[in-house]
Amino acid sequence: MISRFLRVVMVSALVLALVPSLAAGADDFFKGKTIRFVVGFSPGGGFDTYTRFIARHFGKHVPGNPRTVVQNRTGAGSMIAANYIYNRAKPDGLTVGNWIGPLVLQHVLGKKGVKFDGRKFNWLGVPSTDDNTCALTKASGINNVKDWLNSKRPIKIGATGPGSTTDDVPKLIKAATDLPMQIIEGYGGTAIIRVAAEKGEIDGGCWAWQSIKPTWRQGIESGNVKPVLQVGPAKHADLKDVGVAFDLVKDETGKKLLGVAADVYRGLSRPYSLPPGTPADRVKTLQKAFMATLNDPELKAEAKKAKLELNPNDGNWVAKKMSGLYSMDDATLSLLKEVLLPKK
Amino acid sequence: MGEMVQAFGAGLAQVFTATTFTLMMLGIVIGFAVGILPGLGGPVTLALMLPFIFKMEAVEAFAFLLGMSAVTATTGDITSILFGIPGEAITASTIVDGHPMAKKGEAGRALGASLMSSLVGAVFGAFALALAIPIVRPLVLAIGSPEFFMLALLGVTFLAALSGEAVIRGLTAAAVGLMLATVGLDPISGIERFTFDNLYLWDGINLVPVTLGLFAIPEVIDLSVKGSSIAEEKIEKLGGVMEGVKDTFRHYALVLRCSAIGTYIGIIPGMGGAVSQWVAYAHAVQSSPDKERFGKGAVEGVLGPGAANNSNLGGALVPTIAFGVPGSVTMAILLGAFIIQGLVPGPPMLEPASRGGNLELTFSFVWIVVVSNIITVSICFIFLKQLARITEVRGSLVLPFLLVLIYLGGFAQNNAFEDLIVVLAFGLLGWVMVQLDWPRPPLLLGLVLGSLAEKNLFLATDNYGWVWVGFPGVLIIGAIILAGILYPVYQRRRDDKRKAAGAPPAAVPVPEAEAAEGPKTLSAWHIVFTAVLLAGFTWGVWEARDWGFRASLFPWVIGFPGIVLALAQLEIDAVGFLKQRRAAAPSVGLNPVVVRRTLAIVGWILGFFVSIWLLGFSITVPLCTFLFLKVGAAENWFISVLLTLLAWVGFYFVFVYSLSLPFPPGTLVEMFTG
Repeated sequence: MISRFLRVVMVSALVLALVPSLAAGADDFFKGKTIRFVVGFSPGGGFDTYTRFIARHFGKHVPGNPRTVVQNRTGAGSMIAANYIYNRAKPDGLTVGNWIGPLVLQHVLGKKGVKFDGRKFNWLGVPSTDDNTCALTKASGINNVKDWLNSKRPIKIGATGPGSTTDDVPKLIKAATDLPMQIIEGYGGTAIIRVAAEKGEIDGGCWAWQSIKPTWRQGIESGNVKPVLQVGPAKHADLKDVGVAFDLVKDETGKKLLGVAADVYRGLSRPYSLPPGTPADRVKTLQKAFMATLNDPELKAEAKKAKLELNPNDGNWVAKKMSGLYSMDDATLSLLKEVLLPKK
Repeated sequence: MGEMVQAFGAGLAQVFTATTFTLMMLGIVIGFAVGILPGLGGPVTLALMLPFIFKMEAVEAFAFLLGMSAVTATTGDITSILFGIPGEAITASTIVDGHPMAKKGEAGRALGASLMSSLVGAVFGAFALALAIPIVRPLVLAIGSPEFFMLALLGVTFLAALSGEAVIRGLTAAAVGLMLATVGLDPISGIERFTFDNLYLWDGINLVPVTLGLFAIPEVIDLSVKGSSIAEEKIEKLGGVMEGVKDTFRHYALVLRCSAIGTYIGIIPGMGGAVSQWVAYAHAVQSSPDKERFGKGAVEGVLGPGAANNSNLGGALVPTIAFGVPGSVTMAILLGAFIIQGLVPGPPMLEPASRGGNLELTFSFVWIVVVSNIITVSICFIFLKQLARITEVRGSLVLPFLLVLIYLGGFAQNNAFEDLIVVLAFGLLGWVMVQLDWPRPPLLLGLVLGSLAEKNLFLATDNYGWVWVGFPGVLIIGAIILAGILYPVYQRRRDDKRKAAGAPPAAVPVPEAEAAEGPKTLSAWHIVFTAVLLAGFTWGVWEARDWGFRASLFPWVIGFPGIVLALAQLEIDAVGFLKQRRAAAPSVGLNPVVVRRTLAIVGWILGFFVSIWLLGFSITVPLCTFLFLKVGAAENWFISVLLTLLAWVGFYFVFVYSLSLPFPPGTLVEMFTG
């Protein structure tokens, strides 16, 4: 009985493995298949939320209407998921990765543990941009960029840890401008940073306006919290009166540093990727499906309800930006290392 | 005031509309199963359910989600009591006394007590939510990073100081836990601490596999060695259940106090059920005049955590509702639900509808928590007799299911194969600790609180320099910590004096009086184990030498006292051991049956693991279940095949079909299929 059972399992496994090579074009390839979205963060977080939104509508836009599932493969700030997609996932178009884009910058800076090359992924695109903004409490006494520039004391910015937006973005701003700033690292997340700010332990924090707006809504509406600075260069529609960090840069290198902040932490933070070596026709099909999904009226309505901003960019755009990170000049690179890599 | 009362009533009415009630029932059914299955936690399930609330009204959505999370702690206790496996990470403490009760044939009483105290706790937490919302801001804002650090220390020392007679063992175990919490990438300096260049260890050691290993593996071994059913003694008819209910009311003050503990710890962002259960347990031990009964099936040890892990939810909702600060993963997901529903957490949640607020909705939360717990507990009471009977089933029939659940539970939380290795490693550690009478809870709580303590220590120092040491809150908590350590010592002195006064003078030397409660005999293994811990601390401190101030401070702050504690314990062990040998040298021969059975079950535990590694979960679950039943336990064909099918279908339906977990294919299977 056991041997028969084993045989059945072996045979069916073999059949499953052979099917892809027998299939003809991308068009019927996805029929009856399941596309797996592998998210590098745990359920309930921002990455997971976006992915579950997209996965629910994705199948409709792929020829053959495959089923979709979302799986969470957490660890090392999503690096485990990125390494998995690059090295282990089958490049058959049935596994889509979603991990934090600035990891590619970490690769460029030579961080340990990165086992991929950001130029070789097949990118599907990004669903949104993060307009990083510093929000400060009323108690800080800082109402605008001018107050901040003239502040006699360093303004305390709460942060989680190196490699995260809350930490890297203010560090880049600090290095590029004359804003007096002390970055306090080690908070457990943006919610904890908010409590600490309300308590008066720190003055505020810098991360995506898209996340500040819904989660800190009460503070902002009551006037206890105010967005004071946005990275830019373009202003977010909600933040017409808020100063732009790009206007405060000291010199050309400052501009380059902020350029990284604007690129990596703004547009590239939530990319979707396929393993290197995925057949080109399938990549194209899925890239098209990705953009179609993000323009799906149903998804748009749901995202609106959940206050998730959509501002999609396609795979080619992502690929170009990611490759750009690898062609930085040496001066900028060493400066970035000095600013972003943790010191003992 | 009239408006408040009206809103309170309206909140109740909202729960009982047809759709809302149906959705709440659906949530309860899901939460029921999630609670019972180890490893499948409330947060993960909530996240999976979130997409379904788009088409729901606000009350309906929260009836669904809150109904689900409200019952997981209640049903998680059931698994903990019956099998000694934590159903949820927040019900691990129920094992310590609940499972011994089940072994004594008092499963009914333990379940009755846990369910009833859960209900009281849930109701307490819910009403605390209603009352606390207006005053919560100062409560939460009073806790900055310095106070947070002190609270973490308080939790650990409080529990460690209660470890029966062996306070030093308790503190040493806590230090081990705190030290283990430093494993991983230091989030600030980026230094890898004790990671052996392994990416998996960057995030540190996960709580769920550790809990499963520490508590469940030793139970599996024990059950197999006994060769009986879980209940060693026959279950009395039904009296047990009502007895447990009565226990709840007999110890009503304890249950209420533990509910309050659970609620307040729930209110503090960052702490949660994983902490409050242990603090409640420690309080139950502390407040009992008869501490020796604990760990052997004292009903108070079930009542305390039972109440606290349920009242926790009401407390955790407070900061989420009152100012949009989620204190836990569960709450972060619920905050997502707020946003989807277009609700703004904050003062408007407390304004009546006439002033544009959502007070009715807030009150409906209170009622959802209350009503869903009443329903769950009632359902449980109906089936309680059958549930308790599981402990009378032959152990060999239960064992393969337990093994499957342990491994699935270990895997399901993070979908990482490495977590199974953690289960095994901590299974060994847990088994050794049980054999040598070392307390496991302080280790676990140290692991839970370690990273919080370290983070807040640095935040406090970065923010305030060292001035924070003089903050009033810090001084008050510091005083409580000292009292917590010294009071049990004082109590014991007093008790010893009394004993000495009652007993014939000097007839019983003190060390032996201790030994009567602690280990029966000190073997060379005690010395070896303590020496291993000592070596571990020393190695850890040495490793940390060139990590720089930031990354090495906490390992040193823990490691050096750890070395001192382990040395002290080593001296106690050695002195006791030598004294014993001089006295009589009782040759404790090993029972050959015990040795054979222990080796057999360890073989099966490892066999399941190897099979998962080589063949994957989907083959291992039916294959190993069948082999265990047919070959290992020599059951007949009918039972073996039937139970195997049951395990397989259950596995497929829950884990593969409903959750589509990414089970890794076995290494061998992968080789064959390319």
